[in-house]
Amino acid sequence: EIHTNEKEVTEKEVTLHLLPGEQVLCEASTVLKYVQEDSSQHGVYGRLVCTDFKIAFLGDDESALDNDETQFKNKVIGENDITLHCVDQIYGVFDEKKKTLFGQLKKYPEKLIIHCKDLRVFQFCLRYTKEEEVKRIVSGIIHHTQAPKLLKRLFLFSYATAAENNTVTDPKNHTVMFDSLKDWCWELERTKGNMKYKAVSVNEGYEVCERLPAYFVIPTPLPEENVQRFQGHGIPIWCWSCHNGSALLKMSALPKEQDDGILQIQKSFLDRIYKTIHRPPYEIVKTEDLSSNFLSLQEIQTAYSKFKQLFLIDNSTEFWDTDIKWFSLLESSSWLDIIRRCLKKAIEITECMEAQNMNVLLLEENASDLCCLISSLVQLMMDPHCRTRIGFQSLIQKEWVMGGHCFLDRCNHLRQNDKEEVPVFLLFLDCVWQLVHQHPPAFEFTETYLTVLSDSLYIPIFSTFFFNSPHQKDTNMHQRQLSLPLTQSKSSPKRGFFREETDHLIKNLLGKRISKLINSSDELQDNFREFYDSWHSKPTDYHGLLLPHIEGPEIKVWAQRYLRWIPEAQILGGGRVATMSKLLEMMEEVQSLQEKIDERHHSQQAPQAEAPCLLRNSARLSSLFPFALLQRHSSKPVLPTSGWKALGDEDDLAKQEDEFVDLGDV
Amino acid sequence: MEHIRTPKVENVRLVDRVSPKKAALGTLYLTATHVIFVENSPDTRKETWILHSQISTIEKQATTATGCPLLIRCKNFQIIQLIIPQERDCHDVYVSLIRLARPVKYEELYCFSFNPMLDKEEREQGWVLINLSEEYKRMGLPNNYWQLSDVNREYRVCDSYPTELYVPKSATAHIIVGSSKFRSRRRFPVLSYYYKDNHASICRSSQPLSGFSARCLEDEQMLQAIRKANPGSDFVYVVDTRPKLNAMANRAAGKGYENEDNYSNIKFQFIGIENIHVMRNSLQKMLEVCELKSPSMSDFLWGLENSGWLRHIKAIMDAGIFIAKAVSEEGASVLVHCSDGWDRTAQVCSVASLLLDPHYRTLKGFMVLIEKDWISFGHKFNHRYGNLDGDPKEISPVIDQFIECVWQLMEQFPCAFEFNERFLIHIQHHIYSCQFGNFLCNSQKERRELKIQERTYSLWAHLWKNRADYLNPLFRADHSQTQGTLHLPTTPCNFMYKFWSGMYNRFEKGMQPRQSVTDYLMAVKEETQQLEEELEALEERLEKIQKVQLNCTKVKSKQSEPSRHSGFSTSDNSIANTPQDYSGNMKSFPSRSPSQGDEDSALILTQDNLKSSDPDLSANSDQESGVEDLSCRSPSGGEHAPSEDSGKDRDSDEAVFLTA
Repeated sequence: EIHTNEKEVTEKEVTLHLLPGEQVLCEASTVLKYVQEDSSQHGVYGRLVCTDFKIAFLGDDESALDNDETQFKNKVIGENDITLHCVDQIYGVFDEKKKTLFGQLKKYPEKLIIHCKDLRVFQFCLRYTKEEEVKRIVSGIIHHTQAPKLLKRLFLFSYATAAENNTVTDPKNHTVMFDSLKDWCWELERTKGNMKYKAVSVNEGYEVCERLPAYFVIPTPLPEENVQRFQGHGIPIWCWSCHNGSALLKMSALPKEQDDGILQIQKSFLDRIYKTIHRPPYEIVKTEDLSSNFLSLQEIQTAYSKFKQLFLIDNSTEFWDTDIKWFSLLESSSWLDIIRRCLKKAIEITECMEAQNMNVLLLEENASDLCCLISSLVQLMMDPHCRTRIGFQSLIQKEWVMGGHCFLDRCNHLRQNDKEEVPVFLLFLDCVWQLVHQHPPAFEFTETYLTVLSDSLYIPIFSTFFFNSPHQKDTNMHQRQLSLPLTQSKSSPKRGFFREETDHLIKNLLGKRISKLINSSDELQDNFREFYDSWHSKPTDYHGLLLPHIEGPEIKVWAQRYLRWIPEAQILGGGRVATMSKLLEMMEEVQSLQEKIDERHHSQQAPQAEAPCLLRNSARLSSLFPFALLQRHSSKPVLPTSGWKALGDEDDLAKQEDEFVDLGDV
Repeated sequence: MEHIRTPKVENVRLVDRVSPKKAALGTLYLTATHVIFVENSPDTRKETWILHSQISTIEKQATTATGCPLLIRCKNFQIIQLIIPQERDCHDVYVSLIRLARPVKYEELYCFSFNPMLDKEEREQGWVLINLSEEYKRMGLPNNYWQLSDVNREYRVCDSYPTELYVPKSATAHIIVGSSKFRSRRRFPVLSYYYKDNHASICRSSQPLSGFSARCLEDEQMLQAIRKANPGSDFVYVVDTRPKLNAMANRAAGKGYENEDNYSNIKFQFIGIENIHVMRNSLQKMLEVCELKSPSMSDFLWGLENSGWLRHIKAIMDAGIFIAKAVSEEGASVLVHCSDGWDRTAQVCSVASLLLDPHYRTLKGFMVLIEKDWISFGHKFNHRYGNLDGDPKEISPVIDQFIECVWQLMEQFPCAFEFNERFLIHIQHHIYSCQFGNFLCNSQKERRELKIQERTYSLWAHLWKNRADYLNPLFRADHSQTQGTLHLPTTPCNFMYKFWSGMYNRFEKGMQPRQSVTDYLMAVKEETQQLEEELEALEERLEKIQKVQLNCTKVKSKQSEPSRHSGFSTSDNSIANTPQDYSGNMKSFPSRSPSQGDEDSALILTQDNLKSSDPDLSANSDQESGVEDLSCRSPSGGEHAPSEDSGKDRDSDEAVFLTA
């Protein structure tokens, strides 16, 4: 349940714990960390340290921590640690005014507020710190978190060099990495796609293009030379095959050209490709253009930046202000609506494949953002293997890591272009969470796994989520190991994500075909509805097709990830943790009963040993477990009276007190 | 029966709300108690039953080419759309239903004709299952501070109060009567809950008739007596659950609230819970959101916020938490009132008691709580839930809100309650169904006059009999979390309150209650129970056999036990194909819909060809099919084959889940 590989019982440390290769850059003492954001300026004194990996606060009185509350602990990131990549925004407070901090400062703030990407908020008071130290630590933190960085400067590399001997690949880890021809063949065989599709090694050594992985799968009759023609653009690449033979394919659009001649060439190239995949043995192909009539990355970016503000709360007054308008604020961010649209799109594609036995070709400019998202969701719904932990990890490896999702740019790890920062992967995890939340028995993993996974995006000791493509990873990790001078590391070519660029092209080249294939939208809606309704009216088979509910009320906020640091949202001795610990208790009981039965069979003696307890004191856990361990009793306005009334138009009704009706009776 | 203009209409279509193009063709029957729609489709012949008392509104819509649409909205949030081919038939049905849904005499209500075939003794036993005298005893009363008062015998002081009331020992009859004259409808301060641990109490009353300056010595003495009954605290909280504005407006009418200057050592506190009209309106708005065919995210979130419903729920919870904290943490007694002290006061007192006392979080304790704070203290069930035709302005979802508060708490504390969501939903259903006598009338006095206990049956006995359906598998009585006060933050934030789709959308096909982890556990538990019972039966048989065949050794029998008992289990399943088959075998199949034992109620129907699988919930028979399948019971007979499969699946699913 609890990820013991990441969280372990450890000794208390008063000193700074450094990872292999980690170096302290600057520090300041007598910093006051506010314990709670209340107006009561209550806090803990300590040292604030900035290393090339994290910002850490070391309280002067660490022993104050209650021992059994810290039973579960993140091994890498302590309660007061923030990795440099996890920093979202830094604010300084000057004379009670909050300002964003960046670049060179003329004046240094008396208070530092750090908003993290995992939605923690830290507040440090620097009033009692020496001026020099303030200058050093503030400018140090700002520089190391906000300034553009070179890829080779990532902590990842220092760690990999220093800790090389420690990184032994676990033989039990069966996650398929898809970095060899064998892995792809295995996947083809598993899904019975090997009849019509073949794994190719045309891009071995990244000779064709740096965007695609070294090995991938294409339709069997397609000549490998075609792949080279436009550096892998315009080629249908296989993602997954359904039990009925229909397949999910993806294709990156051809580069946009002005020249008529080149356009003609492109057109005839695509025509040829389409002819190949349109004739038997291939199923009818439905093209799903994700860059023109679906979500735009900009929408996702805007929505998430509004959405996260709901949880980045500086003080509880602010919290109670937003609390009153909670639902409308949630709505105005439209994050939940985006989730719903993604799930709906995935169901539509599932319907095509499952019910109509069609192939679906996902089309996107680089086939590395929404393509990854939608194709992973479809596989998660259709393929129960993807719902195991190993299967899920393999899916991420296949669709996201090998699929060339630009983690480096989308997470803005290098701080080079804020516009490119779009939480596509987080959106995916949130969609998965909806499925896990609605159908917990269908998944081998829990929401806690997803939350931890989402955190690992910002921990630069795992290389998985720190590159734009497998090519980038291979070249950099390889060179580092050989200690060769790095070639100028430039992040992969800019990927603008504005829809008009591809829109035009698609319309020109595929217009006819699309219109031929897309049924009238009414009919489409009917098919969808029928498929959706009929699935939901049957009892769920958790080992088969799995569809989410997508009615408005059924899409929920991923409370564990977004609300876990907010003390106001915790339920002492309640929440899902209570269910979990109760289940563990029941399992214990079953186990001990089982043992009793066994003993009865073997001997007549009564058993004496009690099964070891897994999670004692479960009643003391709060709903925020295992993330926030604070158990503070919120000190809040005793009774908020109906201040929200101004929002409604119920004033006349409020005045119409019930007893006025029968005054005469008294 | 004279109100039924046409007992049967053929070729009626029941419209599927999600995909309106699909509609089931069937026959509509009107009976004295139900509207019944039977599908023509020969393999299902699915039946939809609607109790007349559940009908909230009937709407005749514009005639179309296909016929005349009739929209029926129910008090349990079901919405039925029928299309009747002939305009005249539709009109007849409409007029009949309008009359049938609004009875004018109590005697017309279903509970007077409902007959679960229990004998007189069983019925009487049912009515004594929940005993309030026992409950006060459990609280530790009477004691040195509190005594049972007979001042209200024959309802002489207050006709909406019960006869059995606990008051402070130092409150003389003179004080009580004096105080009652100074309170709306004479509802003087009485004990609602006594917290044994520290002698603090929750008392309830109606508002004082203080106007702008009136005083009443006896009323002041009454409050002082309440304070003195709690030696641990030198003050009493007086909680007025109304918004301050409303309370002040009441002063102009000679009512109002306590003046802190006149009463010694009281701390006065307003808590802004809105009145019944605001609540009615708010529910209406939320139901409009629920009625949307497939609400977008934005429709839903905006609609939910604009309805204000969850804010009202939060206000009631906040009040309950305030009182629970005052009692348990400050050790202070609290007097709660609103205007008449029968709506908001009932909500708040019962929420506070539920937070304080784990007993009320058990199945039986929860029935006691409703019996005490709602039924006995004169909550106006008849007016609020529109059982008889009356003023629509009196209707308001007051107890619905309380039930929702309980559900919200169950969501937050999944292991703290002995009962499950279904229990709450069935109680809500029966508050409106009038199938049992418990919730009839507006006061104990009226119920006695009507001789409810002699003429109707008690819901509590019915629920208790079927308690296996209502148990929360996560609950354990000795668990530390289930003991003592629930630890809630002083004011839980808004996003801790969720939309209850299990209640308000429970008839929506797409949003039926799903098989949650809890349902799985319940199924496993039921199975275990079945096996245990079978084991017991087999052991008995074995014993008998052993008596006959003394030469049979004990060792041998032990070996044969496991294999035989599993064989028995499967063969039993395949024999029992219809609900009827189970009725004779009730014990080994604890999971059934609440009225499974009441099939006889169908006897009162005129059409004898209608067999009822679920008469009182009148839901689609597959309403809970998923879960039901797991518990080895096929809801509508004849489709038993898949249930064996799903039984197998469950085993493997469970295994996956447990390893997760």
